[in-house]
Amino acid sequence: MTTTTETHDPGEAGLRSVFARAMREERRALIGWTIGVVAFCLVMLSIFPSIHGNVNFSKLLDAYPEALRKMFQVEDYTTGPGYLRAEVFSFVAPLLLTLFAVLWGSDLSAGEEERRTIDLLLANPVSRRRFVTEKWLALIVGTVVLAAALEIALGAIGPLFKLHVAWTRLTAEVLGSWLFAVAFGTLALSLGAATGRRGLARGITTTLALASYLLSTLSNLVSWLRPVRNLSLWQHTLGVDPLGSGFHFDRIALVVAVTLIFGAAALWTFDRRDLAT
Amino acid sequence: MVQVESRAQSSGAASSPVVRFEHVTKIYRGGGGVRDLTLDVHAGEILGFLGPNGAGKTTTIRLLLDLIRPSTGAIEVFGLDSRRDSVAIRRRVGYLPGDLALYEQLSARDVLSHFAHLRGGPSWSTIRSLADTLELDLERPIRSLSRGTRQKVGIVAALMGDPELLVLDEPTSGLDPLVQRQVHEMLRAAADAGHSVFLSSHILSEVAQVADRVGLIRDGRLVDVERVVDLQQHAAHLVDARLHSAPVRETYASLPGVTLCSVSGNDLHLEVAGDLRPVIAALAASDLDDLSVREPSLEEVFLSFYDNDD
Repeated sequence: MTTTTETHDPGEAGLRSVFARAMREERRALIGWTIGVVAFCLVMLSIFPSIHGNVNFSKLLDAYPEALRKMFQVEDYTTGPGYLRAEVFSFVAPLLLTLFAVLWGSDLSAGEEERRTIDLLLANPVSRRRFVTEKWLALIVGTVVLAAALEIALGAIGPLFKLHVAWTRLTAEVLGSWLFAVAFGTLALSLGAATGRRGLARGITTTLALASYLLSTLSNLVSWLRPVRNLSLWQHTLGVDPLGSGFHFDRIALVVAVTLIFGAAALWTFDRRDLAT
Repeated sequence: MVQVESRAQSSGAASSPVVRFEHVTKIYRGGGGVRDLTLDVHAGEILGFLGPNGAGKTTTIRLLLDLIRPSTGAIEVFGLDSRRDSVAIRRRVGYLPGDLALYEQLSARDVLSHFAHLRGGPSWSTIRSLADTLELDLERPIRSLSRGTRQKVGIVAALMGDPELLVLDEPTSGLDPLVQRQVHEMLRAAADAGHSVFLSSHILSEVAQVADRVGLIRDGRLVDVERVVDLQQHAAHLVDARLHSAPVRETYASLPGVTLCSVSGNDLHLEVAGDLRPVIAALAASDLDDLSVREPSLEEVFLSFYDNDD
């Protein structure tokens, strides 16, 4: 027994940080989500050749009530960007990213508390702030991987299915989706850090994310919602149509600022509470 | 012998204990917690913290580790503030939680090397030799380990940094007696090296075996802290006598030092604190059929403590 363990000195290969362990623990899930996102993109892309430039399709959609067209963002449906806007970015792709971020974010701190591993972890000379910061960093890196998979699947594989979209516009739209996901993932992390309860963090965050989506989307139809739609993070990230209009740096800065406030709240509250009592 | 030496070594530092709880209160909504706890742990000693489940042992330990914060009072470890200097304190403390939970997905080796990295500390050879001593197989994933084996992983994690202070919550629970003894020896060795051990247990014999001093906690209050040696010395003697005729209770109950006197038939049962001579003299004057005098176990000492309190 001793001889086999001697050859396995983990040394440099060991889990050197809270961040490294968070990534290791999420590795399988992240691979699964990445496959899911890419598969979704491939299915959507594979349908596009039959829609691309199809005049009958355009006529059909023109016959839809305006409200529906606005709601589901089906303008320019037969062009590459129009198709992506309607089929990929109107709901499903940002939802996948956000779901991943919220599920993981709610688990990062609260999961360790619920599984009670936090006692032994924080017996080490690791400050609570460092713990939350490294977990947050893992969330950011993990979602970047997923967003990159989305971008590459659409931008690099799209042309094979006659779907062409400018890289900068696609990047602006993916960035919008990622910002939305990270903002709510951070909120989930923060609520989990503040309460130690995953379910609560998930429930509240998912509700707020959906409300944010609905507020922005419905405000295209319902005029009285328009004055308050700026409360929606969806409005600032995807509601301004980065795929059609490119980067809106003021809005990006706003969402980044809100995310940083969520993160700071996680650090502040987690530092001040009794853990897993 | 060794205990005396280690105490002599540490006597210079006696003015500044390794751990100091000062009037610490922490009350939970449910009513549990600790109340007005004042307690010192000195360098080179093993302090056993004894009490039934739910008495506040785990609360006290988690306060020390800054996992929870006191409502009032102050906790100092190595003269540092338990909250403000928590990271510096934890660098010098080894901790074994009572409700030990490890990362299920990882192997014992990954868990221990992870903690070693976070401590910036113990070499792999140190970890391996500790694991070998406890016959712990490091390659298996945590989820496949039995409770006792998990406990071994926790013990290695606590001991591997050779910390100045060991804080162990029910350290031998789930371990078989042989391993328990091994762990006790490791703790003794740590104390002999001048390190301090603060361990909780609800098993009195364990504390009596390994600790230098015992603190008794009950319903969140520290009842008493005594040196194990003193407890054993000052313990009341139990006297059982059978007389030829039924004894008169008052004859014995009024004797100096008798704390408890019961009579059933010709049998007399006495608990005597301090000097035995008056009792022996009184018994000698009567018709004695049988007599036994014994020292109570530490367990009985503490049980009488509990009874008197009610």
